[in-house]
Amino acid sequence: MADEDDKRKGEIPTAPGAPPKLGRRDLLMGLSTVPALGLFGYAWSRQQQYRRGRAAAAAATPAAAADLQEINVALLGAGAQGQVLMEAMLRIPGVRFRAVCDIWTEYNLRRVVNTLKRFKQEPNGYADYREMLDKEKELDAVIVATPDFWHAQHTSAALKAGKHVYCEKEMSNTLEGARSMVLAQRETGKLLQIGHQRRSNPRYLHCYHKLLGEAKLLGRIVTVNGQWNRAVAPDLGAPDRYAIPEATLKQYGFKDMHQFRNWRWYKGLGGGPIVDLGSHQIDIYNWFLGAPPSGVMASGGLLYHDPKTHEWHDTVMVVYDYDTPAGPAKAYYQTQTTNGSQGYYESFMGDQGTLIISESELNYAGQLYRDPNAPAWDDWIQKRYVSAPKEQEAKEQSESGAVADVRESVAPDQHTVPVSLRDPYHQPHLQNFFDAIRGKAALNCPAEIGYESAVSVLKVNDAIDAKCRLPFKPEDFKV
Amino acid sequence: MEATTFERAPMIAITALRVLVGWHFLYEGLTKLTAPSWTAAGYLKQAKGPLAESFRWLTTRPDLLANADLITMWGLTIVGVCLILGLFTRLASLAGIGFILLFYLAAPPFIGYFYAIPSEGSYLIINKNLVELSALVVILLTRSGRFAGIDRIVHVVIRRRRPQLAGA
Repeated sequence: MADEDDKRKGEIPTAPGAPPKLGRRDLLMGLSTVPALGLFGYAWSRQQQYRRGRAAAAAATPAAAADLQEINVALLGAGAQGQVLMEAMLRIPGVRFRAVCDIWTEYNLRRVVNTLKRFKQEPNGYADYREMLDKEKELDAVIVATPDFWHAQHTSAALKAGKHVYCEKEMSNTLEGARSMVLAQRETGKLLQIGHQRRSNPRYLHCYHKLLGEAKLLGRIVTVNGQWNRAVAPDLGAPDRYAIPEATLKQYGFKDMHQFRNWRWYKGLGGGPIVDLGSHQIDIYNWFLGAPPSGVMASGGLLYHDPKTHEWHDTVMVVYDYDTPAGPAKAYYQTQTTNGSQGYYESFMGDQGTLIISESELNYAGQLYRDPNAPAWDDWIQKRYVSAPKEQEAKEQSESGAVADVRESVAPDQHTVPVSLRDPYHQPHLQNFFDAIRGKAALNCPAEIGYESAVSVLKVNDAIDAKCRLPFKPEDFKV
Repeated sequence: MEATTFERAPMIAITALRVLVGWHFLYEGLTKLTAPSWTAAGYLKQAKGPLAESFRWLTTRPDLLANADLITMWGLTIVGVCLILGLFTRLASLAGIGFILLFYLAAPPFIGYFYAIPSEGSYLIINKNLVELSALVVILLTRSGRFAGIDRIVHVVIRRRRPQLAGA
């Protein structure tokens, strides 16, 4: 009877004075929730399968085709940007990491090598890029994500070692450096892709080829406006116990650990926010307008940050002149690092419409406005080049009750660009680079294009110092 | 020698609760572990409440942040497995309570706080983090692992080999 009670209450039975036995019931009850773990495993594997299927369907090229030529890559520079690129590359089939190089061996290098090992990659770690290029004979390509002032040396060395190179923008912090990269590329005949990744973004490509090129929806673009507003961010720190030895820092051109971590703010190392942020968008100005600028005026300064640790301008406002194939245009750009509201975007305004676009999938992900006087866009809506206009209720009064002036322009129709990117932002540009290595595509941002952007952007800092309009000559953009 | 008795129906319910909470922990941990560069930095930068400054400071220290990321990813995963299996249930519950308390304190739904990231419900002081935390308190106090879980086997084995530890 006592035994029956035990069973009913789930009791662990014990006999007085005797050690308990591991009964069948204990085993059954003890293992009773193990199937739940099995069920979880099953659900997890189904979900992973589903995700892989979706990623493969969304990928530009079919995943893991049997004849896919495997590309051996090295990551040179394993900091924040290097890790962004690594994450994107891990999603691209047929890429094998053979080496990672970073002078911060105790932190960046270790972190990235360990991460790659989790993804069944077996890269060798190096602190010295020359040793890496010397030893890693099987490399096909090097991904350069080091600070700007190292780009020229790292890229040229890798090209001369017979490797294709993907180099992060800005191409270099000096024009001489950028020019030497173009020359090294020509001399070696290897591929050099510059990391202006919007050039491979499907939304930007759709806008360039279809909306501006084929449909000419904006008409003649006369003004451009863009910005990258970023909120105040604390300086990047580094733990004392992981600090790079002073001699090593000096060997690689850094005064101390603070400068190593915050190199973008230092003259001679980076170019400040106009180069870090503006470079991406001014490159789009050149691309969409079909010409590099013909002149630049700029104002900027270090208005907020501590000059002891921030040498470059934290606030910059620029006006470019363009002589586009369609006629003259003006382009405004601002970047500031004290307020992040309204983020980043580029706005192209033509006599028939406006395009507001950004790399972000969350904000300004492709808005179009048709001027009321422009020809109808119905054909392009039917072709799915643009979305149907957003329905707007006729408003005779504003929300506050104020009556609109009759001379105000009629509100333009609002459309959206029906193209989005589900992958990490850098993935299509890296994919384009690997496709080009396989001979299946042309580079979307070869060295000459990167050089044009570098010339356009680096001159802004000169214009701020000159306090006057600086002209560009067509030959400035040629190497 | 004490006899451990359980009321069957409530214990089955609590065991089911334990498995569900464990499932959630395990999935949260695994999704972070399998994302190549997952980091809590974004979440911590949005922190509000009494510990906001500390959480934000953490994001500026890469070594500490890396450790926090690692502890979170593996911690959630291990706690999840332990809760599902009923293995070291009390320790796992305690660790789970610690994790959730930190998540709650990083983004507490206090009066006057507004978050840009929309939540899936509407909360005033109490949110689902706190409810899950309370579930773990119940699991901690009721020793559900010794009712249905590997702890039951472990407990019997320990009692056989080290009777003096049995009460621990």
